[in-house]
Amino acid sequence: MIRFDRVSAGTLRALSFEMASGTSAKILSSSEDQINALFAVCSGVRRPDTGHVYMLDEDVYAMPPDERILLFRRLGMVPENGGLISNLKTWENLILPSWYHGTRSPDEVESEVLGYFRETGFNNEQVKNLMRKRPDELTKYEKRLIAIIRAILMNPDILIYDSILTGLDREASGRLLTLVQEFHNKKTGRVSVYLCPEDAAAARIQTDQTVTLKN
Amino acid sequence: MIPTALNPERIGKSVLGLFDYVQGVYELLVYAGMGIGRLAKPPIRLVFKKQIYFTGIEALVPITAIATLSGIVITTQIASLAGQNIGLTAKIMLWVVVRELGPLLTAIVIIARSSSATASELATMKIRGEIDSLRRMGIHPGDYLVIPRIAGITLSVITVTFYFQMTAIVMGYAFASLVGYLPFIKSLGGIVSILSMKEVLVSLTKAVVFGLVISSTSCYFGLRARASPTAVPQAATGAVMRNLLMVFVLDGILTYAFFV
Repeated sequence: MIRFDRVSAGTLRALSFEMASGTSAKILSSSEDQINALFAVCSGVRRPDTGHVYMLDEDVYAMPPDERILLFRRLGMVPENGGLISNLKTWENLILPSWYHGTRSPDEVESEVLGYFRETGFNNEQVKNLMRKRPDELTKYEKRLIAIIRAILMNPDILIYDSILTGLDREASGRLLTLVQEFHNKKTGRVSVYLCPEDAAAARIQTDQTVTLKN
Repeated sequence: MIPTALNPERIGKSVLGLFDYVQGVYELLVYAGMGIGRLAKPPIRLVFKKQIYFTGIEALVPITAIATLSGIVITTQIASLAGQNIGLTAKIMLWVVVRELGPLLTAIVIIARSSSATASELATMKIRGEIDSLRRMGIHPGDYLVIPRIAGITLSVITVTFYFQMTAIVMGYAFASLVGYLPFIKSLGGIVSILSMKEVLVSLTKAVVFGLVISSTSCYFGLRARASPTAVPQAATGAVMRNLLMVFVLDGILTYAFFV
């Protein structure tokens, strides 16, 4: 499903690893630059200096840019800052990819979205208020939660999380972790990758494989 | 020592910058033209509607005020020059308002309001990494950001130009009638009787060209912003100044092409 073949990009040096269908991995580094570079390479927005990145058996950077964008419909990316669009309200951000790609209409996802927010500690009134806000009014936890739900709604085969628990308290990070791990197990063959700094929060993420990047 | 204005390096950079601009705007227009059918996608259509609201509908208040005042000033000047000659007044009104001031003043108002807003919005999105976010979601930034803006701004310029012309003529004649210079209905009839297809075509051409240039230039300056604290104001200022220059240049070219 995922293969990195001697990938170098900035401070990232000759990284090689492979993940089979249905597995999960955490990739640890003490360098934030390395994590940022790796996430950018995984996201298709930074061509590696050397090496090849394969996702869903496609060589990501051998594809023309327009086709590469199409591949990303099947991948879920959750950046550390949420990657929300600043001129859209929360609800518009949540439904954007699934509505855009025509996979599901806003009406179809409404109850599912509400369910995810309830699972993560919000009541109906809080959800209603949250939906009207723009990204700059949200907390770090809210931004990440919205980015996760937005990715989940696309039912992707591969999910890549960037520093998902960094800077959150134990309770909030516990809720996010439960949500993403339950989602991982919902579909046979799904791959989840957690890019994280080497800290106590990362130690709580249980995965099949751990890769530690060298500085 | 070479004076700064004549420095060959500086001149060379400006010329290359101009080539980049022309190429960039051309590519954006071709992309938008080829992909206009993507407006059928609901999220893109929503951006298109929002653009029409911000550029067209929200501009109606300042446009009404400017058109009314322009109409009053022009009819007063014409009346002082031509007296109560309805035919001559109608001709001058048509030349000034329909051929020239309507498209030009509308373009200037849209540049002041929407060009700077569009360029700074796109520059902010680029600097904050939101354009990469769109790519990560499998959304082509050109489809989602450029096509609805070019279509929305162009359509708004066309309709607002028509609205400006109507308002300026009606309010100008209403004022002239109120102060006793000209009869209202007869004067309007005078305009309608001499309005030819050519006048309508010239006005429409100018509005379409101005709309396309304003929208694509705004997108171009917004999307080429680099990560720096001054990038957003630079994008907004660059878009406004280039648009003003282009609108006047193109107005001259079109007027020459149609009437000389």
